[in-house]
Amino acid sequence: MASRGVRPQPRGKPSGIPFNARFTDVAAEAGLRAPVIYGPPDRMDYIVESMGCGIAFFDYDNDGWLDVFVLSGTRRDGPVAGASNRLYKNNRDGTFTDVTRQAGLTRQAWAFGVTIGDYNNDGFEDIFITEWGQNVLYRNNGDGTFTDVTKEAGLASPGARWGTGCTWVDYDRDGRLDLFVSHYLVFDFQSIPPTGRDPDCNFKGIPVNCGPRGLKPERCSLYRNNGDGTFTDTTEKAGIALPGRGFGLTAVAADLQGSGWQDIYVACDSTPSLLFHNQQNGTFVERGLELGLAVNEDGNEQAGMGLAVGDFNTDGALDILKTHFAEDTAALYRNVGAAGFEDVTTVAGLAAETRYVSWGAGIQDFDNDGLPDIFWVTGSVFPEVEKLHPSFPHKTPRVLFRNLGGSRFEELFDAAGPAMAEVHASRGVAFGDFDNDGDIDILIMNINEPPSLLRNDVSGNNHWLKVRLIGVKSNRSAIGATVIATYGGRKQAQAVLAQSSYLSVNDRRLHFGLGAAKLADLEVHWPNGLRESIGTVAADRLVTIREGQGIARSEAMEPAARRGH
Amino acid sequence: MGIQIDRLGYLLLCSLGLVIGAGAQPAEPPSMERQATVHAGNASRLMQDRLFSEAGAEFEQALAADPANDAVRFQYATCLFAQGRNAEAREQFESLKPRLGESPGLEYYLGRLDLLASDFPAAVRRLRSLESSPDLPQSAFYLGLAYLGSGSLAEGIRCLEKAAARSPHDAQVHYRLARAYSEAGRAADADKEYREYRQSRADLRTTETDVRACNEALHGRAIAEAKAICGRIGDPNDPERLVMLGQLYGDAGEFAEAVEPLRMAAKLDPNSFEAWHNLGLSLFRLNRFEEARAPLERAAALNPGFFDTLNLLAATLYVLRDDAAALPVLERAHALRPDDAQVAAALEQLRAAAKQKR
Repeated sequence: MASRGVRPQPRGKPSGIPFNARFTDVAAEAGLRAPVIYGPPDRMDYIVESMGCGIAFFDYDNDGWLDVFVLSGTRRDGPVAGASNRLYKNNRDGTFTDVTRQAGLTRQAWAFGVTIGDYNNDGFEDIFITEWGQNVLYRNNGDGTFTDVTKEAGLASPGARWGTGCTWVDYDRDGRLDLFVSHYLVFDFQSIPPTGRDPDCNFKGIPVNCGPRGLKPERCSLYRNNGDGTFTDTTEKAGIALPGRGFGLTAVAADLQGSGWQDIYVACDSTPSLLFHNQQNGTFVERGLELGLAVNEDGNEQAGMGLAVGDFNTDGALDILKTHFAEDTAALYRNVGAAGFEDVTTVAGLAAETRYVSWGAGIQDFDNDGLPDIFWVTGSVFPEVEKLHPSFPHKTPRVLFRNLGGSRFEELFDAAGPAMAEVHASRGVAFGDFDNDGDIDILIMNINEPPSLLRNDVSGNNHWLKVRLIGVKSNRSAIGATVIATYGGRKQAQAVLAQSSYLSVNDRRLHFGLGAAKLADLEVHWPNGLRESIGTVAADRLVTIREGQGIARSEAMEPAARRGH
Repeated sequence: MGIQIDRLGYLLLCSLGLVIGAGAQPAEPPSMERQATVHAGNASRLMQDRLFSEAGAEFEQALAADPANDAVRFQYATCLFAQGRNAEAREQFESLKPRLGESPGLEYYLGRLDLLASDFPAAVRRLRSLESSPDLPQSAFYLGLAYLGSGSLAEGIRCLEKAAARSPHDAQVHYRLARAYSEAGRAADADKEYREYRQSRADLRTTETDVRACNEALHGRAIAEAKAICGRIGDPNDPERLVMLGQLYGDAGEFAEAVEPLRMAAKLDPNSFEAWHNLGLSLFRLNRFEEARAPLERAAALNPGFFDTLNLLAATLYVLRDDAAALPVLERAHALRPDDAQVAAALEQLRAAAKQKR
């Protein structure tokens, strides 16, 4: 992480257009009350204590309601009683029940990333977690329980490594989910000095934790799914092994270039980010620079943390947002086809915000007006700095840019409800509709605090459409599929991702705001290469599409009956 | 570089005090014009240290005392620009237009503001006339970006090619040009520029490492050994690197070693204030006062508001017994820092000596 001293560009005049999404933090009343333990409560002496972890929305029991999976850290001086990764089952009334123990998921370690996908194509979503130490694969047994199958799967590493980003990806189009893991750096508590020991580790003259600059980056890994519950390390063979190239964090896998094959993009901290371009023969070549995704428009590397993939300008191609350190802008990359991506941060109006260290992010249509908005969470990594520099507080608010159309955004402060201004040291974020009421809610990991669950209550008459994909020849989770919705003169692409935001997992159901449109045409680009035109579907419904068979189910959604209402 | 100059310049303040043997005396209350000069001097120093917010406050005080000072207003506008206070910067630049007309400096900054506001046609209009200006070498780069923003890919590439030729070590220019070539489908040209970009970035990292190594060697090893390490920095065709090397030697007190790289830098880039100032400083410290005079006069001409240069030049002229030349220089220094007791005392002595002569 590093500040580049970038000063914000001026905000334009407020548009005055009402924003119809309103967020309220309902985590406590929903039962998400356990704090996410991550290092000491008031210090971050080592970089491992400052990075936090991801969070996930997923439906582990296939009941049509989003459950919540929250990763956990620990503390250097020993385990904390009661701290664990947690699985919360959705009670379908706006509340959740902690089922961690029953599910067999109790574990306390330095967890960082999570990716969810049905790696054995048995119809149930499995969980893979990265950690500093040992990564873990949990197979979903289909009965509400999970089994740690890391060793049997061949995914145990011989020594401690710092896994961060992870994403399921069918890179060879064999219908089975392979696994990509990024690593941050080589770390141990013995060889890296804590805050105050190394005078070179300072921020604005104040001693802070060391890294990542000056520490040793670690390469990414790729594991091929053998189809029998085991994986083979194909890092070298597939061209993923690039030693010393980047401090890898969030990883996304998607068909970013419209080739029908999955590419992998890794946000790298303080080093150029990596784009592994799929060569369609089981190998990749790193082409971040050539495709415009390695650095910002000035050719400078940034402190890449979080990634969002979406189509902000509704031209039918996937764009990318990357978040960075304070005193720097986020980077919004517009997909320009063969030439790759163009950094349009300043032109889009996002350079107005540079105050916060920024993490989990999403390109999501929160007010269902048909134009995807941008959201990210923030939080410092140096709690000691605010004592001398109040302009660098440890806990900071959420950032929301509403899409004005014409590839322009404006930052909103009060217009989206009180939850936007609440301050936390946040990291991971997941986006999804936990109460099935037709809008996007937000789940946030806060360091040493309970998560936030921002319930979105959209007003107005805008329409929406949800799309759930089931792969047949492709992997069953349809990870890597792209859906293009055409509505009201717009054409919006969305991808089914197994990780994005910051080390987190979103609702697998794709949510399209449609504005005034009551109909949308859908086209699905399946991970195995099939392009399937679905035709016109009615708004305000969840449609389930089975690969090669069109719409399997179309249903109006029954929102959660809120407890006490 | 500003920090280096300040540090070295500070030593010279002491030298000046020793040379003239002055004692402290109270300063007289400054006039409004003097106040403006003082605040503008402070602001310039703060700008060099990249303390833009503090510099802005000093400029505001300078302008409150002397609102008609166009030079100070221009600097204030550039200070606002550096802070990203674009609307205010534009207002200040625009306010100068009636008096300065379409001066290159004004057009350059207004063009860059147009670029930041995504008003690409306006940016092209303003920057087009500056494309080949030797005084504003980055104009071609920003004009290229303006052309690209307005969709004129071919013109954008032409300007960026010009910028790359002018600034062959600028990674940013190579990256933008590579992206433009990619967009134009010129893959081979793009690859070449990406290579140049990578090389420039690698050079930058190597330079950082070399500077660290040189600094450590100069403070811990024999000079002959240190020279072998520091020699890696001194590219004979790159004035910035030569200045950097000279400053490293100077900072370590190795003024004899500093002279040659600084002399080469000044020859390659005659408008480099840092080269001339540090050359003058090094020669002064070597008691080669005759030789120090011309570089310091050149530095003072390039940056007339920089206190340390004036102070050093005054000391040089004093040692050379050219009191008549030293007096106005020291007066300018005093105007910049009227509270500086040593300069005030030195000035009193020179004035008294001048009176006696008369």
